[in-house]
Amino acid sequence: MPAVLGAFAGRPSVGEVMCVSTCNRVEVVATPPPGAQVDLDRVAEEIVAALEGFATPGSGPVLRPHLYRKVGKDAVQHLFRVASSLDSLVVGEPQILGQVKQAFEAAQAAGTVGPGLQRIVGRALQTAKRVRSETSIGEGQVSIASVAVDLARQIFGELKGHRALLVGAGEMALGAAQLVVRAGARLDVINRSPERAQALARELGAGVRAWDELPSAIVDTDVVISSTSAPGFVLTHDIVSRAVKLRKGRTLFFIDIAVPRDIEPSVEALNNVFLYDVDDLEGVVRETFREREGEAKRAEQLVAEEMSSFDAWVDTQSVVPTVVALRAKARATLMAELERSFAGKLKHLGQPERAALEVMVDAAVNKLLHAPVARLKRAAGDPRGEQMAQIVRELFELPDVTVVSDASGAAGGARERGGP
Amino acid sequence: MTASAVAWAGFWAGAAGYLAATVLFFWQISRGLPPRLVRLGPVFIGAGALSHAVFITLASLVANICPVRSVNFALSVGALATAFGYLVARLRWRIDAIGAFVAPIGLTFLIASRLANLGAVDAELPPFFLALHVGVNLIGDALFLLACTTAVLYLVVEKRLKEKKLGGVLGRLPSLDVLDQAEHRFLLFGFPLLTLGIITGTAWAYRLEAGHAGEVLRAAFAYLTWAVFAGVLLLRAAAGWRGRRAALGTITGFFFAVLVLVVYLVRPPAGPVLSCSSSLAFPTAPRPSRCASGSPSRPTRCPPCSAPSPAGPRSAR
Repeated sequence: MPAVLGAFAGRPSVGEVMCVSTCNRVEVVATPPPGAQVDLDRVAEEIVAALEGFATPGSGPVLRPHLYRKVGKDAVQHLFRVASSLDSLVVGEPQILGQVKQAFEAAQAAGTVGPGLQRIVGRALQTAKRVRSETSIGEGQVSIASVAVDLARQIFGELKGHRALLVGAGEMALGAAQLVVRAGARLDVINRSPERAQALARELGAGVRAWDELPSAIVDTDVVISSTSAPGFVLTHDIVSRAVKLRKGRTLFFIDIAVPRDIEPSVEALNNVFLYDVDDLEGVVRETFREREGEAKRAEQLVAEEMSSFDAWVDTQSVVPTVVALRAKARATLMAELERSFAGKLKHLGQPERAALEVMVDAAVNKLLHAPVARLKRAAGDPRGEQMAQIVRELFELPDVTVVSDASGAAGGARERGGP
Repeated sequence: MTASAVAWAGFWAGAAGYLAATVLFFWQISRGLPPRLVRLGPVFIGAGALSHAVFITLASLVANICPVRSVNFALSVGALATAFGYLVARLRWRIDAIGAFVAPIGLTFLIASRLANLGAVDAELPPFFLALHVGVNLIGDALFLLACTTAVLYLVVEKRLKEKKLGGVLGRLPSLDVLDQAEHRFLLFGFPLLTLGIITGTAWAYRLEAGHAGEVLRAAFAYLTWAVFAGVLLLRAAAGWRGRRAALGTITGFFFAVLVLVVYLVRPPAGPVLSCSSSLAFPTAPRPSRCASGSPSRPTRCPPCSAPSPAGPRSAR
């Protein structure tokens, strides 16, 4: 990453730069060099050119149609949306916030960020945290496996110390079994083919049970994940009913991910038995997506609020040089007079008294200039603000200052559909 | 600051703590709250319970009466025991949501004990015997109350899981097994206390040669409560009656326990009503004692706490 960032930062029009790279997204966020009067489109163009430089020789024209670029406020808003997981395929997924943080830290380590990006990325992370805490965009599970494990937690609390059984070797069941193991449950695998069972057990760090032990295996198990290709029921009402009696009422949770079903639906009527099939789990996933869509609208409003607050801050930056010069001149004038007095009538004063007088001068400057500075900042961003700044510069004979905003970014990137 | 003023401060602080916890828990369960706010619920209950304890202690000192001798105080102590039982139990199980029951119960009993005039406990019994009987019954009932609320929540969670109504409130409630375990433990700890309460109650009734219809009914409900809880515990151990069945049994047992209390509270007065409960049990300015009927009566000493009380104890058992 440092080499990549160095390549971007080496471009003459690029000042600060960071690169967000995930499994399906590569985005470069950059600002022009401080104080330089550079067209932001030119910065974006240079980034795209640099990206093409990383591509396989000759593939430039192929790469370009897949790239997109955003400039100025659009770029800032895009970064806010990315960090808030509003630009992810699975809206609300939590990883992207960490990935943006990591990208920023990598750029900091490479020395390619300054106050401009620090401010923009800081606001993006703040926006993302606000979206997470003020909306339910991250709530619920978005995969069948995670819904199944979530349900197991709702039934058993912590899964540590509980036993799970994987019946069959369907892909989705495998995902659920992996999550169950990760949650701390002890897993056994049962399969018609002992070789396949052994292989799966090795992969999952699980134990193996023989196929004909299935009825007794569910007596010792709390969570059964079933996904065989059997044409009929593998676990019938009778088998489960006998197991429930032997379990002395301990709760039993069946996750049937097989099509056609492995577990006879009537077992659901048994006391302390819970059965969820793939349709039930898919229903939960669909509901989560539907709820997240609603929350995404609220999240977009929060992003818009943060953008408007950021815009207001950017606008105040146009008068900052005038304000700084005004304060400096006022302080310098008063301090010069004070120094003259220290050399004359006030030369009898000791160091503590002199320091106290200097503090008093600073306070007086701040109080005196508070109202005009506040008015200048309020008017910033519209033509009246620039007019007022010009008048202040003329009245106080301040040097002409170049107004450069470091807070407008240019982003270029490429993203595939299907991930953060 | 006088003890009376501190007691009042404790009363209002307790009420405020319970009220804040009630609002917070209901908001959390119905709409959801950020985790940092959710954590405040038990903190508010803890603060409420602590203030409640300060109130009971100081108010009983000011009124010069043992809390177990005043029905008002006794109910207040019962609610306090429920709150403390909850706070201790949540150190072991993730059952914070039960606070949605505990906080309003604490608030209701704290205020009701101030407003209602429920009479005094029988004065003819030896102090130790009285304290033992009332104490074990109060703590036992507090544990059964917790078991019952846990059982209710169990049935809610179980119904939603069976009907596959996931999301929403379900994610904000404790897990099914945790509720089942907690309910069992509450029963297990409460049952010996109930047994002791029944033994002392039977001895008490025998001593007083009680034969009033209300007392017979109360004894019958108490034995029924004991039998139901014993059945729930026995069937769980022997026949695996867990979950839904155990929850229904617990709720039934608690229903009979409530009947015992109701029959006790609506008992007919057997003589001049003793008012050394609410009027003297709380830090109010001294005033002439009155019977519940309103007729003034000459204060006497209220044994065994030597609190001044009108003559003629009401038959409390």
